[in-house]
Amino acid sequence: MRIVIAGAGEVGSHLAKLLSNEDQDIYIIDENVERLDTLNQKYNLMTVQGNPASFLALRQASAGSCDLFIAVMPHENDNMVACSIAKFLGARRTVARIEHYEFMEEKNQQFVKGMGVDKVIYPEYLAAEQILTALRRTWVRQWFEIQNGEIIVVGVRIRSDAKMCGMHLKDFASTHHNFHVSAIKRGVETVIPRGDDKMEEGDILYITTRREHVNDLLALTGKVEHKIRRVLIMGGSKIAIRLAAMNRDDFRITVIEKNRAVCDKLAVRCPGLESVYWGDARDIETLADVGIDSFDAFIALSESSEANILACLTAKEIGVKKTVAEVEDIQFINQAEGLNIGTVINKKLLASSSIFQLLLDSDSSTSKCLALTDAEVAELEVKPDSKITRAPVKDLKLSREMTLASLIRDGKGMLVTGNTVIQPGDHVVVFCLAGAIHKVEKLFN
Amino acid sequence: MLLRKDTRKINWLMLAKVIGWLLMIESGFMAIPCAVSFAWGEQDGWIFATFTMLTFFTGYVLNHFLRPERHTMGKREGFLLTALVWVVFSLFGMLPFLLCSHRIGAGDAFFEAMAGFTTTGCSVYADPEELSHGVNLWRALMQWIGGMGIILFTLAVLPMLNSSGGMQMFNAEVTGITHDKIQPRISQTAKGLWLIYIIITLACALLLWLGPMSLFDAVCHALGTVSTGGFTTRAAGPAAWDSGYVDTVITVFMFTGGTSFTLVFMAATGRFAAVKANATFRYYASTVAVSIGIFAAVMAIKMGWGSTLRGVLIDPAFQIVATITSTGYVVQGLSGWAPVLLGLLLPMMVFGACAGSTSGGAKLDRMLVLTRYVRNSLKRTLQPNTITKVEIDGRVLTADTVNQAISFLALYAIVIIFAAGVLTLMGVGLSDSLFCSASCVSNAGISPDAFGGDLAISSLPVAGKMVLSLAMLTGRLEVFTILVLFMPGFWRK
Repeated sequence: MRIVIAGAGEVGSHLAKLLSNEDQDIYIIDENVERLDTLNQKYNLMTVQGNPASFLALRQASAGSCDLFIAVMPHENDNMVACSIAKFLGARRTVARIEHYEFMEEKNQQFVKGMGVDKVIYPEYLAAEQILTALRRTWVRQWFEIQNGEIIVVGVRIRSDAKMCGMHLKDFASTHHNFHVSAIKRGVETVIPRGDDKMEEGDILYITTRREHVNDLLALTGKVEHKIRRVLIMGGSKIAIRLAAMNRDDFRITVIEKNRAVCDKLAVRCPGLESVYWGDARDIETLADVGIDSFDAFIALSESSEANILACLTAKEIGVKKTVAEVEDIQFINQAEGLNIGTVINKKLLASSSIFQLLLDSDSSTSKCLALTDAEVAELEVKPDSKITRAPVKDLKLSREMTLASLIRDGKGMLVTGNTVIQPGDHVVVFCLAGAIHKVEKLFN
Repeated sequence: MLLRKDTRKINWLMLAKVIGWLLMIESGFMAIPCAVSFAWGEQDGWIFATFTMLTFFTGYVLNHFLRPERHTMGKREGFLLTALVWVVFSLFGMLPFLLCSHRIGAGDAFFEAMAGFTTTGCSVYADPEELSHGVNLWRALMQWIGGMGIILFTLAVLPMLNSSGGMQMFNAEVTGITHDKIQPRISQTAKGLWLIYIIITLACALLLWLGPMSLFDAVCHALGTVSTGGFTTRAAGPAAWDSGYVDTVITVFMFTGGTSFTLVFMAATGRFAAVKANATFRYYASTVAVSIGIFAAVMAIKMGWGSTLRGVLIDPAFQIVATITSTGYVVQGLSGWAPVLLGLLLPMMVFGACAGSTSGGAKLDRMLVLTRYVRNSLKRTLQPNTITKVEIDGRVLTADTVNQAISFLALYAIVIIFAAGVLTLMGVGLSDSLFCSASCVSNAGISPDAFGGDLAISSLPVAGKMVLSLAMLTGRLEVFTILVLFMPGFWRK
């Protein structure tokens, strides 16, 4: 697939790296030569220097003949214009990153389509959504619902008191038919486990199961679910504003922000907030002033990943039950997950999830995708005559980089075993390691 | 990307595994002269058959039985692999020379193979006509593989290198300051370049065959011309046919071989405007044109009324292009030309043609940067507050790029002088040493005796040939790739 990315910022560069490892033809446009040179030397892609919202640069990058055009510049107006031009030139599908919810609203869709934007990605919205899920399900690291929750994928870190800790996967599978351990993250590495792999203390297990069995998992992993009511947010960022807007009286939110002007703006723009507090949340006395021990959850959304991680650790020590940290440096995610931080959010990963969804299933909007640090979970609809339907799963000789976790047939979820025969029309949940998503795509199309 | 402890160690097993792959590819190339030898009913066919098998099995064993823990290749593995592959290819490529009907020693054979792969084209064989068809074709093929690049060929055919490791190797092997891609993925870029290369070579072979050459000679010369190598099948080289037609065809194709293949690709896909606007190409074309003018004038004055089109125009054009593209063919009676002309040819040999072509030398791209940079410096001496920039093809080069180009030129000169210094230790005269060294580092392969000196490169002692082999490789891989291996920091854990 030929993909043009406008803007080599953090998200653009991240997408370019990921997609070039997926054997796609990538063109990336930016005005900054140095950024382009670094990408050009290291990755399999072409760079075009110029303003990504100009006809000249888009023609140079042959945006007119691309299958996917992704505009991820800092300003949404630029992205809209770039998409509009690309569409005019003949791009098949266009994606623009936006900063305002307006563009996602149903009543404005006609305008957005008219501008030539096929899909919008709003990383802050996705982040807020993820945070809300994390607050509702405090015991998991990741919670991913497929087909209205028919199938659920949870990521959960096990401690030594979990029943499954120390078990071989094949023993676990023979006694617990309702769960599929689809991936294990240990330290910095994610693996697709085999029967003789062992589950160890500190592993993050990605388990696929049906809705009715999720609660059994709670006991199995030795976790307790907390009810969250009061939430403290550090940093009045765009995600915090979005979160406040999306919160429907479920949570009472307080924001601590160190910039006075931002505080004033927050107080005006977000009437739903319980209170806005001016101060530095890295300071333990400020936290005491706010009364941190009366909060159930602490969410660190400041610009600095390091500060977010450390603030979360402090909050955890004080006794806050759930912590969420925004970690934008991908290298730090593994560290943060190894430390005792409840949920880690990263806008780049959220943005790439949306893009992968497009890659896998470019004409249907029913499938979902979740990008982990070095693996992907994807829900795919099986097309007639695709390779995956030709034999029972155990005879398909699937690559070791992927596993089929479950499927939804006629609206009913079931786990996949070696004897399962996949049928056209099924929705299948696939786990695959980074760089293997194009192999998955070949199996399903 | 995560740093792990073991990334500080060089992944030797993976290196060997990839080299195994490459050896299997080399054996595929070796099978061609093998078949040709058998077709001519030569004894050498058996020699080629043996070594094709040997190369294949060595490669197969390395590739199949090694199980590296990691399949990743970092920056250092990229450099090391690129350098090693050229040496390993030469080591296996030289085997047929050791046992063929016209045997030479191991040192000479290695030199011959290296001169082939690096497209230097100075041969230890005084009269290639004594050699079998198989050996002659193998010599021509070696240049052809090396001309575009061993790694580049591999990138085109092996999808497994289509990653950042492959990018690293591409950067280490392809010549020039910056490396233009013609397609987003490295394998497509490599395929595109090779396709163009094959088409040009076929066209050259066909045109030569239409002239007085036999099909075999035409193919061998096409392989040597487009790759700007310089091996030939006759003692006198293309001059043996004494034909204006042969010389003209070869001149045109050497010129094409000296052009950046990215540009040739653009021209082939109809983007002539970009080609015409390319500063390096204009520089290259005008240098050649102006030199032909000067040479023609000097020749005409010297020959007076006895001037012929051949003597005034075709021969000088042939020699200029053969020198600037570092092909290293020599016309009859070159040593008798006016010394001023020989003096003009020397800098052409050292500077070579465009980057991204098959030619050797320091490349005109860098000369262009140097010229513009020096002009800026002079401007600043007069008006110190002028803001100057080095601009090429409408793009302003960053200070880093300019520095890299200039430090390359300095290093290039040092390598030439150093190699010459080592040659003088072996009792070779100073001027001959310098000439040999410059000729080998710039992959031209012109022997001092062609310019009227006394020494032929083929008569050097084996130690001297080894020094020149290393010089050729250093020149072909554009200095940095080889010199970085000599840096202690490269090996430190």
